[in-house]
Amino acid sequence: MGTFFQKAADYTKDAISAGKYLLQGLAVTFDHMRRRPITVQYPYEKLIPSERYRGRIHYEFDKCIACEVCVRVCPINLPVVDWVMNKETKKKELRNYSIDFGVCIFCGNCVEYCPTNCLSMTEEYELAAFDRHNLNFDNVALGRLPTNVTTDPSVIALKELAYLPKGVMDPHELDKNSPRAGKLPSEVLVKAIDNNKASVEEKT
Amino acid sequence: MTISTSTELICFLILSSVIVSGALGVVLIENIVYSAFLLGGVFMSVAGLYLLLNASFVAAAQVLVYVGAVNVLILFAIMLVNKQEELKPIKGLKIRRFFSGCVCAGLLALLFRVDITTNWATPGPKAIGEIATERIGEHLFTDYLLPFELASVLLLMAMIGAIVLARRDVISIELESKDSIPQNIIKNSTDNVLLDQSSD
Amino acid sequence: MFTTLKLVFIAVVNTGLDLEVSFNHLLQGMGLPSSIAHLLWLPLPMLLVLTAALIGVLVTVWLERKISAAAQQRVGPEYAGALGILQPMADGLKLLVKEDIIPQKADSLLFTLGPILVLIPVILSWLIVPFGQNLLISNVGIGIFLWIALSSIQPIGLLMSGYASNNKYSLLGGLRAAAQSISYEIPLALAVLAVVMMSNSLSTVDIVNQQNTAGLFSWNIFRQPVGFLIFWICALAECERLPFDLPEAEEELVAGYQTEYAGMKFALFYLGSYINLILSSLLVSILYLGGWGFPIPIELITNSLGQSPNAPVIQILAATIGIIMTVFKTYFLVFLAILLRWTTPRVRIDQLLDLGWKFLLPIALVNLLFTAALKLAFPIAFGG
Repeated sequence: MGTFFQKAADYTKDAISAGKYLLQGLAVTFDHMRRRPITVQYPYEKLIPSERYRGRIHYEFDKCIACEVCVRVCPINLPVVDWVMNKETKKKELRNYSIDFGVCIFCGNCVEYCPTNCLSMTEEYELAAFDRHNLNFDNVALGRLPTNVTTDPSVIALKELAYLPKGVMDPHELDKNSPRAGKLPSEVLVKAIDNNKASVEEKT
Repeated sequence: MTISTSTELICFLILSSVIVSGALGVVLIENIVYSAFLLGGVFMSVAGLYLLLNASFVAAAQVLVYVGAVNVLILFAIMLVNKQEELKPIKGLKIRRFFSGCVCAGLLALLFRVDITTNWATPGPKAIGEIATERIGEHLFTDYLLPFELASVLLLMAMIGAIVLARRDVISIELESKDSIPQNIIKNSTDNVLLDQSSD
Repeated sequence: MFTTLKLVFIAVVNTGLDLEVSFNHLLQGMGLPSSIAHLLWLPLPMLLVLTAALIGVLVTVWLERKISAAAQQRVGPEYAGALGILQPMADGLKLLVKEDIIPQKADSLLFTLGPILVLIPVILSWLIVPFGQNLLISNVGIGIFLWIALSSIQPIGLLMSGYASNNKYSLLGGLRAAAQSISYEIPLALAVLAVVMMSNSLSTVDIVNQQNTAGLFSWNIFRQPVGFLIFWICALAECERLPFDLPEAEEELVAGYQTEYAGMKFALFYLGSYINLILSSLLVSILYLGGWGFPIPIELITNSLGQSPNAPVIQILAATIGIIMTVFKTYFLVFLAILLRWTTPRVRIDQLLDLGWKFLLPIALVNLLFTAALKLAFPIAFGG
């Protein structure tokens, strides 16, 4: 009999705690309701990608020396470097260069290792196409510069999380000159120099 | 004839024709699922007849019990055991059919006899309408207490039977499986399997 | 024209806001016999309630989308009308003009009949929903019992559509829906029985009247807190709302019994589920939250203002407040259901049946016994 009452008591306790957790959950959901939506109405509003954004790769044909380092560091050997040996000058002659962005994983290894910096990453991410072969960019397509979100008159540019002040999540209705969270490398450098000067002065 | 009586007559005709044709369908249609759904239709129409007789509580109870519980359970059973089985031809099917037809015809004759000999014109007790619910309750707990309790005992028996059937652990497992389970496996199940057992 | 309106007004008010009687008076005043007046009156409340139910569905769909968006910090529908208020209309229109597909190997008769059988009982149940003393289609004596009986028809439609789709997911969904529906009907009925026991009547009007003796504090939720919880859980399960939406659990069953449906037949299911949600909320507010009752009794206010509660203007005002209160309580419960949808995870089928049979059923029985004991002990507070 004792065990029965024990069981009943445990059961009641469980039921009450379950109810309590449900109420806690409801409170959380209700709390979320008073937060403002941070939706970015995409085709009309766009986020400015951060400086380190790894978008479509830009390529400068004239800088390239056809060394094929990009091919070797690429996880899937994706870039196609089409060159011939010019017998007379004994130099490589680049004819064509292409990257298929339907296959590229945007890891940025090629950009990292390119000896002449002819590759760079842009902030372009709108790569949708009706045909996947259209994603195979040749050197002309790779050489095009992306349209800038901030200069596009039909788009409201919004600051991405990296540009927002500390604690702010919503890019809407934000003061244009509000500072970003953290410091830029240049600011860190200035601070370090100042500190150095101060410590030197203290010593003397 | 006023509007209400003519409406009543039309409703009665429609309901009774649905009942008769539905019941025939339940028996005659080969597809068992169709039969079950038609049975639900028949039950609903019977509830409609009760409504016509001003017995709304009985009608609702009919819907709740027969359509909501009995018919749904029948459908459940059919759909859970939906085996496409080739039925073997039964020997002497014609004779069987003949005999069952005889029994059915006899029952029909009996019903006809009851129908003809009963004096339907005697006015029964007046319909009491809304207070029927209370009256039914009163009767259930006074005059009809014994049948009521017996029905509940029957339901209890059915429930215990269902529990015994559903809980296999009540029935001994050895009886079910012919080849006995090697006892050492069960005994060793608590042992740590990962230990080196080459020594024993 | 103005005099007719005034006549109508007087006719309405003199009969204690019984619209049927006043309508009959009006038509008889125009020289029609009373039987024809009755015949003309019959379809009116039904049409009214059907429209009310449909508008209720539109509002609920919009609320569901907007509140879901708010709970997830999204915007929700925005461009169809102001604040996306026309979005449900657009949805409905889309479903209306969509191709009505019947799968080739499906049983076309049962496939068509299924959604109809699901929708009709739900709409019929609006028969007993009162918005005021005389503002309901019919004050049938068996009231709330009719709803319980009608809602037990629904599983047949679900099984039918599940079977007729000739799709294993549909069949599983239909079976789950039926199992869920019949197991949660029992605690639901027992919870209702406790309320009925206190009000001595099955009629919804009597149940509400019995709660409105002392305003807020005489509402059934204070006398039946456990019953309220049981009823609400069961109502959610009957409506197949989260956390009990197993019949259409999209991760496991695609869309359950709705998998093969498209166009208007799908819209019937959609409508049915939302009408059912509103209906359940309405019934919760009628059974436990005092129906059309204002938290402070109207008589008390009128007496303190020195007005007769039978004055025409007061009556119209009281009726309006009643309708507003009913709708307000209902939509509060709908809001709660939507909030619950984004709070609770879906239960498994064994957990669902465990909760129904091993938790709610015993608790409902104990609640019923307890209510009976309280009724015998304190007949004043718990209905003599």
